[in-house]
Amino acid sequence: MEQKLRSEVKALLEQGKVDWIIGFEPGSLKFTTTPLITKDKNDAERLVINPFIVNNLANFLTEIMGRVGIVAKGCDSRSIVSLIQDNKVAREDVVILGVPCTGVIDLSKVEKLMGKDRDELNDIAREGDKVIIRVSGKKKEFPSTQVLFNHCLACESPTPKEYDILLGEPTPPILAAQERIEKLKQMTPEQRWGFWEKELSRCIRCYACRNVCPACFCQRCFVEETEPQWVLPAPRWQDNLIFQIVRNIHVAGRCTDCGECERACPVNIPLRSLTREMYDIVGELFQFKAGMDKDALPLMTHYEEKEAEDFFR
Amino acid sequence: MTNNKKVNKKDIGKLLSQWSQEFAVFVPSIESGVATMARWEGKDTSFLDWYRNTVIPPKANFLPPMEEMFSFRKDREGYNIELPPNGGKQLIFGIRPCDARALAIIDANFKDLYQDPYYLPRRSSAVLIGVGCTNPYDSCFCTSLGISPAESADVDLMLTDIGDEFLVEEVTDKGKKLTAKTSGLKEATKDDETRAKEIKETSYNKVTRKINAEGIVDKLLASFDDQDYWEKVAAKCISCGICTLLCPTCYCFDINDELVRQQGARFRSWDSCAFPLYTKMPMENPRQEKWRRVRQKVCHKFGFFPMNLNIIACTGCGRCIRLCPVNWDITQVLESVPVREAKPQIH
Repeated sequence: MEQKLRSEVKALLEQGKVDWIIGFEPGSLKFTTTPLITKDKNDAERLVINPFIVNNLANFLTEIMGRVGIVAKGCDSRSIVSLIQDNKVAREDVVILGVPCTGVIDLSKVEKLMGKDRDELNDIAREGDKVIIRVSGKKKEFPSTQVLFNHCLACESPTPKEYDILLGEPTPPILAAQERIEKLKQMTPEQRWGFWEKELSRCIRCYACRNVCPACFCQRCFVEETEPQWVLPAPRWQDNLIFQIVRNIHVAGRCTDCGECERACPVNIPLRSLTREMYDIVGELFQFKAGMDKDALPLMTHYEEKEAEDFFR
Repeated sequence: MTNNKKVNKKDIGKLLSQWSQEFAVFVPSIESGVATMARWEGKDTSFLDWYRNTVIPPKANFLPPMEEMFSFRKDREGYNIELPPNGGKQLIFGIRPCDARALAIIDANFKDLYQDPYYLPRRSSAVLIGVGCTNPYDSCFCTSLGISPAESADVDLMLTDIGDEFLVEEVTDKGKKLTAKTSGLKEATKDDETRAKEIKETSYNKVTRKINAEGIVDKLLASFDDQDYWEKVAAKCISCGICTLLCPTCYCFDINDELVRQQGARFRSWDSCAFPLYTKMPMENPRQEKWRRVRQKVCHKFGFFPMNLNIIACTGCGRCIRLCPVNWDITQVLESVPVREAKPQIH
């Protein structure tokens, strides 16, 4: 897959079909990759595809001028489609290099299972539906469902539906149960309120959740409004809650459940429990799944006559 | 007979108990996978087994993420202003040499340049008990900034793990006074000291990530106007606040008033130069573009701060690398600054 990617990228740049390439290159720490944003065809050799390609690169599309070749997993391609639906990106300006995804490894799950930090491990390798971890001469095997990101386990389209070049054979979804969200749903409202108070009290308002999110493309976020000020910019838990609730409502119908908000959070707030629930509610109420069809009208910004609310008329 | 003391690891709880009588004792603690310095609950010393460093730097004990500066209430006579109560004396157990140095760096601003009335009382009343770092992360690069992971002049007492015991070195008079009234400490032997010295050396050599800090100020100044370079470096940055808010040396803050009906409060909270709002003014924003903000962050830490205060505002703790959602790595950035003839130009 990697070799195919590199030669396709080289050709795209050489033939002038794209101005930019956004892909992944090896990161500076163990088991990491990092976004590679380049115009240089010689950089094609640096591109990698492995079980650690965590970022949703669609996030960079709205800030890069020109035609872009972009490496996209299933979730990333959904985000690209969602941006096309919202007129943020023109379909003809992107060349989607689709990665049939078998899931991305969640290093914090690995750390928990191993009782060691990521930099203390020697190797993490994906072999079929197993993940093999090596540390100080010992080898441990886990079913991949134990170490993949939760959003990967819930991903309905790991192979991009929208692409220009597919880099491998399509992969089937895994679709494991979403235990954490189910647990939250079974709580009483008071318990849930307590849960979120505790979790959101850790928020430091770094806005990483917002800034990694391709659906959060507002030029000015409401939290930055100063006249009037909608929420206190300081990390008081109630204001953190308002920030998350409004962010969730704003990305309803745009969120593709890529899980980046939760992954980026430096203080482990289970943000995807909110976004995934919103994703499911949107699906239930409007029979709409973000990023599935580039020709479908965006959910929140169009109106149909059959819609019930009179105040729109 | 040496000048130093030692304590059995099993007795750390007893020491913390004694100190709890006088201080609010903070120890490394983990909640939902996030390590922070939290109030000691009176029993658990299991942090000795898992603790490498905290996610939330100990600067939060002195410059909290959010604090009330004063509250106010309006009545017929005007505004009544009330100051928050003074916090108690803190004892931070287990601070790493990088983070202790970071507090010394913040002092250069909050103590030497001006006297911050919120930071200073906390800082001057606190006792710092360092514990040497014997298992640095692969993202750590403290040794390139003149810091040794298991040695510190920036704490009051310094502990070194010598097996079943810690060697306890009295670094300051404050530390000496504390040990004088602490029971349960034994005299250390020459062998203990030799062992500690070995541990310190081994720990030092475990830090393999390096930067070349020499001449970095001139290098950065010479490339200050190189927009192409900064745009390239900034390309993958997402402008979140992780690397700055969780940096142990970053101290920027924002001030906001909250007024509900006739009363409210003024809050101070962490702010970040990564945010466009940080420099937004009524008519314009001098750092609207991302590359200007990234340049500011790098140049403040490694250029302007050492120019003005003679010390680089980075301790190589590696949090900004470990926690970055896109693996933006300051050590790679510093490595890639173009080498060119110096022509100092500050804008």
